[in-house]
Amino acid sequence: MNVYIEGVLALMGINILLALSVYAILTTDQLSLGNAGFMAIGAYTSAYLTVKFGVALLPALIIGALTASLIGLLIGIPALRLKGIYLVMATLGFGEMVRTFFLNFEPTGGASGFRGPMGSSLLLIYGWVIVFVAFFWLLARSRLGRSLDAVRDDPEVASTLGLDVVRLKVWAFWLGAFIAGIAGGLYAHHMFYIESSNFNFLLSTMIVLYVILGGMETFWGAMVGAIIFSILPEVLRFMKDWRLSFYGAVLVTVMIIRPAGIITREMVRDFREWLGRIFHRARTWDA
Amino acid sequence: MFWQQLINGLMLGSTYSLIAMGYTLVLGLLKMLNLAHGDVFMFGAFLGYSFALLGIPLYWALLLAMVGAGIISLLVERFCFRPLRKAHFLGPLLSTIAFGILLQNVGTQIWGSEPSRYPQTMEMAQFQLGPVLISSVQLIILAISLLLMVGIDQFVRRTRMGRAMRATSENQINASLLGVDVNRVVRFTFFTSGALAGVAGVLTALVYLQITPFIGIRQGLIGMVAIVIGGLGNLRGAMIAGILIGVIEVMNDAYFTASYRDMIIFGLFFLFLMFKPEGLWGTTKQES
Amino acid sequence: MLEISNVSKNFGGLMALDQVNLQLEQNKIYGLIGPNGAGKTTLFNLTTGLLPVSGGSIQFQGQELTSLHPHQIARLGIARTFQNIRLFASMTVLENVLVAQNIRTQSGITSLLPTNHREDSFRKEAESLLQQMGLWQKNKEKSSSLAYGEQRRLEIARALALEPTLLLLDEPAAGMNEAETEELLDRIQEIRNIGKTIFLIEHDMNVVMGICDYIFVLNFGKLIAQGTPADIQANEAVIEAYLGREED
Repeated sequence: MNVYIEGVLALMGINILLALSVYAILTTDQLSLGNAGFMAIGAYTSAYLTVKFGVALLPALIIGALTASLIGLLIGIPALRLKGIYLVMATLGFGEMVRTFFLNFEPTGGASGFRGPMGSSLLLIYGWVIVFVAFFWLLARSRLGRSLDAVRDDPEVASTLGLDVVRLKVWAFWLGAFIAGIAGGLYAHHMFYIESSNFNFLLSTMIVLYVILGGMETFWGAMVGAIIFSILPEVLRFMKDWRLSFYGAVLVTVMIIRPAGIITREMVRDFREWLGRIFHRARTWDA
Repeated sequence: MFWQQLINGLMLGSTYSLIAMGYTLVLGLLKMLNLAHGDVFMFGAFLGYSFALLGIPLYWALLLAMVGAGIISLLVERFCFRPLRKAHFLGPLLSTIAFGILLQNVGTQIWGSEPSRYPQTMEMAQFQLGPVLISSVQLIILAISLLLMVGIDQFVRRTRMGRAMRATSENQINASLLGVDVNRVVRFTFFTSGALAGVAGVLTALVYLQITPFIGIRQGLIGMVAIVIGGLGNLRGAMIAGILIGVIEVMNDAYFTASYRDMIIFGLFFLFLMFKPEGLWGTTKQES
Repeated sequence: MLEISNVSKNFGGLMALDQVNLQLEQNKIYGLIGPNGAGKTTLFNLTTGLLPVSGGSIQFQGQELTSLHPHQIARLGIARTFQNIRLFASMTVLENVLVAQNIRTQSGITSLLPTNHREDSFRKEAESLLQQMGLWQKNKEKSSSLAYGEQRRLEIARALALEPTLLLLDEPAAGMNEAETEELLDRIQEIRNIGKTIFLIEHDMNVVMGICDYIFVLNFGKLIAQGTPADIQANEAVIEAYLGREED
């Protein structure tokens, strides 16, 4: 496999994780426009640990992600008092705060960025992708997943069924921040050099757009969106610099004609049922 | 020195006020943020630039930029808000994000991503007002901003359309029952919001003298900070908050470290959202 | 077992409930009636913690409810349905019922693991609940695809899956035809017969007079009468309240 394709696949894996991080928070009907901030925390923390302290990559990644998620908790708890656009703006403000923080924070390079983190591999990246995909797959068919769906559909009713809505929402934030933190750590150790402008508002919004396009209702949608957006630049080479316009136009159109995105809950349900029928047929056929 | 900085802050802040007012008009009416607003501002700046390059005198360029930006804002309404009336409440927000990216890219393709220098279109006279040295450009910026701020404020308060706008933002159904053409009000609001952004764009360009297609992002965000600090939906609050932020920014650069500037502003933003989301002067609408 | 003492609720200037006092005993069916806007649903909202009281106290089996969150109140054993049906739109009929069982079983992060947690018995219970409500045939369908009357029954099934001691039903018979209403009445009596207490808001007097053991009447936020169906039917104040106002 040549270096170029490896690079595309590596970024695709990281994009999948980022999309999943937005999806995680979206499961409780909260929109985060600041996940680049969590990514940055994970990136800088893990990079600092491996480069300055020689910590092994895997533990550094996890510590970076835990740091990001701890901050996610700190944001999540007061943020819960905010509804609707207030919450969206708070996440936006958070992302910008983190970016400008690292722009000024000398120990991690400040405006000159941070050089040195390395050691990531496709195996590592996709290992994490598989871990989280498996996690979301199990979550979707679990009681916890159903609690999250209830909170998203109607939080008031969910609370009258005994579900602690606040706790679930905070947990979702924590989870999203953790995944974004892992993505950040992987990104840093893949790119060998990071600077605060890598983690800007544009990135935060692009991640959200992956999920919108792919489908907000299931984690498969988030994955598909990330994959499409990772491959699109290659496929659309002929469009050169007009790619972003194309994305923008496509997304505006998608919001009008198919706001749920490409992959809908219905689709997944129907697919699962179809699979079930195939297996059933296979089983009875043997007998 | 202090007074000089204050004037600079007022000048910068008034451009923020204009942006913030644009957000507020749409927010008050449709209860949703137009995140393409910053990029409409950017287009306004560049339209002014292009017209100025063609040799068109400043005031005409300004007017044309206003109209152009207003039209783009109408496009945002047409594609991001109108078809999504029945969608999830975040629909328009997300759509405007995408539209903003489209605008940024189109801007980059038309004008290039390198900074563009604003042509000098007028005499640079300087006036001494007490301890302050103020240039004619600065005076113009201040004058136009002030004019617009007062103008819009009075418009919303006193004219029929202004009343229609306020009625529609309270309750769309009631307003239409009372004979208000809601669609027209919505379009008018978007146009005005865009026009304000357009003016802000040209004025900002006169302040900084060079612009890139990405200025919309930061200025748009600052506008958002202003509306939160001023109180969401509160037009006067947005105006004053914009000026406040401009002053804070300039003072920070003058007396503290310039690089911390954005951290302080966004930190303030965040603190307000956490602890005082109704802003300094209260919201005029209730977020459920 | 439920004691509502001097409860008042103020919305800005509007006094929705004014010093309301009522007591419920175990294992009976209670009715709450009154003209529109009398404060009935508000009383339910206060009891289930969705709104804070402006004054007074609500005690359930000795526990003070006014300082608790809705989810804590639900865990104490109070379940409710809603006036405008609020099912979980993204879930199937069965899933709506299953999610209500979550607080009675493992539903945290451990629920991702394939270990059993008595999952089978919970599923059987959900099945039997849906059978009782005549909804098992449609268990895999989206909840929003059900007919109106079926949606109401599903809401009740969901509330029952919580295994509550007290069940608050907000206009359960609304929009139902005679046959459906008859069936509903049978169901409600069955629920009472297995030991639960039911408090229902209703406009359909046949329902109210038909199955309630005791009735409370609200008007303009005040309790104007209480008694057995016979008492209420003869009560002057009640008749005036209903006739003196526009029926919807």
